[in-house]
Amino acid sequence: MSVAPQAVAPRTVDVAAARPRVRPLRWVAGAVLLVLVAQFAWFLVTNERFEWPVVGTYLLDPNILRGLGMTLLLTVIVMLLGSVFGVLLAAGRLSGFRPVVWACAVYVTVFRSIPPLVQLIFWFNLGYLLPRIPLGVPFGPTFVSWPTNSVISSLTAAIIGLTLHEAAYMAEIVRAGVLSVDGGQRDAARAMGFTAAQSFVKVVLPQAMRVIIPPTGGQFISVLKGTSLVSVIALSDLLYSAQVIYNRTYEIVPLLIVVCAWYLAVVTALSLGQRRLEQHFGKGQR
Amino acid sequence: MSDTPVLRIRDVRKRFGDHLALDGVSLDVHEGEVVTVIGPSGSGKSTLARCVHQLEGIDGGAMYLDGELLGYEMHRGHLRPLPDRRVAAQRGRMGMVFQQFNLFAHWSVLRNVVEAQVLVHGRRPEEARGEALRLLERVGLAGKADAHPRMLSGGQQQRVAIARALATNPRIMLFDEPTSALDPELVDEVLSVVLDLARGGMTMIIVTHEMSFAREVADRCVFMENGQIIETGTPEEIFDNPASPRLRAFLSRFSGRAAHTPDERELEEESTF
Repeated sequence: MSVAPQAVAPRTVDVAAARPRVRPLRWVAGAVLLVLVAQFAWFLVTNERFEWPVVGTYLLDPNILRGLGMTLLLTVIVMLLGSVFGVLLAAGRLSGFRPVVWACAVYVTVFRSIPPLVQLIFWFNLGYLLPRIPLGVPFGPTFVSWPTNSVISSLTAAIIGLTLHEAAYMAEIVRAGVLSVDGGQRDAARAMGFTAAQSFVKVVLPQAMRVIIPPTGGQFISVLKGTSLVSVIALSDLLYSAQVIYNRTYEIVPLLIVVCAWYLAVVTALSLGQRRLEQHFGKGQR
Repeated sequence: MSDTPVLRIRDVRKRFGDHLALDGVSLDVHEGEVVTVIGPSGSGKSTLARCVHQLEGIDGGAMYLDGELLGYEMHRGHLRPLPDRRVAAQRGRMGMVFQQFNLFAHWSVLRNVVEAQVLVHGRRPEEARGEALRLLERVGLAGKADAHPRMLSGGQQQRVAIARALATNPRIMLFDEPTSALDPELVDEVLSVVLDLARGGMTMIIVTHEMSFAREVADRCVFMENGQIIETGTPEEIFDNPASPRLRAFLSRFSGRAAHTPDERELEEESTF
């Protein structure tokens, strides 16, 4: 066997003339995929229980669109509040003052451990634990109090539960971003006479954005999907609006298809946006 | 007033864990004086510069800027640390130039020089801009005002850093090994700017490994080892007539080799992180 290469005269070899190798496994994988896709398409088209015409009627149904609006609104509110609290938590964790560092670390651990679904139900039932929400001196007299059940609607419960959960994740993302900024930048800011707050806001945070923004895009997408949990506390988001309809009409599958289609559309749009952001911020700025 | 030193350092101690980085350092720097600090890696010279600028707290002793105690105040008969805001204001009266330049990476060259004037010293933006352009001109980088730091060479970045530190009219400039992170061919452009400042009467402390420069620019030269000032004197006294055997040993290592000793610089870099 080792004789063969010597048999070819070196001058006549030109790899440009090489033919591609035959790769049988690729052909097999391709064929298998083709069969699976065809089978699935056949299933979608021929199974009448999908009721495609029903999907078509409900895709732009006002109730569904209102539900989609609620889902988007909730996502934006939770992301905004979660980001603000996340930055505060990260600042607290990096503050160097032990009790605050501890408190923020405990918060992050606790709220990353409790599933958001459990939290939602918990906040929705806060009235049992705390019938009235008081405002007054701690351990002292109360000035005013409100009945909990009138304050905690399903919307407020959803905002509180999802925000507390999201804040814990954002805190870790922001913290990683801040730690990624070279210590010399903070030295220089302090040396110029910036206060600690000015140094954080003007110098450290803007540079941390390069590391913070890409995973935040991912969080936005996962919050959007996470809002579907609020259907358990009867907040009329996209999923709950569909449930309300199919509980009346029993057209469960087509309405779930409508819900999937909308999530797919919105997440695809967000993913494209996120890719843009990553291209913009992911490139080494230094 | 003229007999009050711009900077007075009295018996300053600084500890990192078990290591005594500064062991009773005292030094006065007078108006218009240029003091260069030399010494082996880990001798505490960089720590001294960082402590004066209050980037590191000190564990003992005292420092005064124009007779004002740095970092502490008397309160009901006790000393207590100043609030962050007032420490920041004190820092704003000194200029610092770092080994690694540390230009603000997200701002243009011009904004690097403008921002502290506006933010810390309350100048009007147009005024700060004019001052910044004048200073960039002075360090030979007027054409780079709109560039970003990452587009500049190390030498250019360091010159911008000098302009940035000068922009707030500091009472004293501190240089922490300003050329140690530079490629050898870029060292001279930075040193000539520093020399120009010295001739202009700026009060300065320069921590450096460039022996010939330390000699040329200095009114007074300080040799440090193991966190202590071993010897102080005019450049002639220090370089031509070293009194202590330790200084003699240190200088002989340099006369045998080129001034840019790569291994030495790497060591120093490690120790500053």
